[in-house]
Amino acid sequence: MVKLRAKCLLFGDAAVGKSSLSHVFYRDGNLFQKNYSMTTGVELLMKSVTIPESSDSVELYILDSAGKEALLESCEKMWGEPSLLCLVFDLTNEQSFANCSRWMERVQAHCQGLHVPGVLVGNKLDLSDRREVQESEAKEWAQSQGLEYHETSAKEMINCDAPFLTLARAFHALYQERCETIQNLGPG
Amino acid sequence: MIDSSLSSLGAKVVLTSSSDQNHPSENIIDGNTETFWISTGMFPQEFIIRFAEPTQISTVTMDTYNVKHLKIEKNTSQSASQFEFVTEKELDCTEGRLQSNAISLNGGSATHLRFIITLGYDHFVSVHRVSFRN
Repeated sequence: MVKLRAKCLLFGDAAVGKSSLSHVFYRDGNLFQKNYSMTTGVELLMKSVTIPESSDSVELYILDSAGKEALLESCEKMWGEPSLLCLVFDLTNEQSFANCSRWMERVQAHCQGLHVPGVLVGNKLDLSDRREVQESEAKEWAQSQGLEYHETSAKEMINCDAPFLTLARAFHALYQERCETIQNLGPG
Repeated sequence: MIDSSLSSLGAKVVLTSSSDQNHPSENIIDGNTETFWISTGMFPQEFIIRFAEPTQISTVTMDTYNVKHLKIEKNTSQSASQFEFVTEKELDCTEGRLQSNAISLNGGSATHLRFIITLGYDHFVSVHRVSFRN
């Protein structure tokens, strides 16, 4: 049995639903904040995820950062050595998807060349009649970045756990892989 | 110049910041590089070794993997607190084989040594053997 710990960066444009998504996950879908309150700094949420078919778990330390450019610089100071990435955009806002490349570049600068598992999340699935980004398009870009793709509705509490479970599983798999590598190392 | 396993001399690992039942902290001081303790995510990580009695130490030798930056502190008290800085070191990346380093501790005696791994070359780092020369 092992308890892993992962620092998970939650980032993307302002008002795409990053905080809502993490709160729905954090509170097991008990609460969706109806009035918007902008995250102005970094909010930290911790939740433990049990890995299916094992006695292992991953504690996700989710760093929810402000999406607004003017506030971002101070948030970035806390982005060092992330374990996992969660990039969120708004399915009803083409621009928030277009900005994802820029977000990835920005985060990559903090990864020190390490492979960091990540997911891309298209949120606001409930507003289907206002959809501007197609699933296939988002999936394709996610793949090109090595990210797994999920669509969620934080408002309707649809699928909000899935991105975080994917992240926890990926981190657990990485740990097992590294344990095996280390077991087979030659002497120094 | 004796390089014997620490556990046989009564030393103990009294604290680690990570634990995996399959890779217990005793592996750090069993003198065997095939067994190891591994960190389970995020930095910094640390472990503390307690000696049975105040012990003169001039050099610590460490076999590790993917440790990037290491800080060593010590104390001469009975409790694992109030440490003073001894030294720090940037280790080279050695892909596919263990990092083997001898680190001078500037002499003096200690009852506890605290090893703080502030950064790694990977998400997870391992410590295979720590031994001392006096």
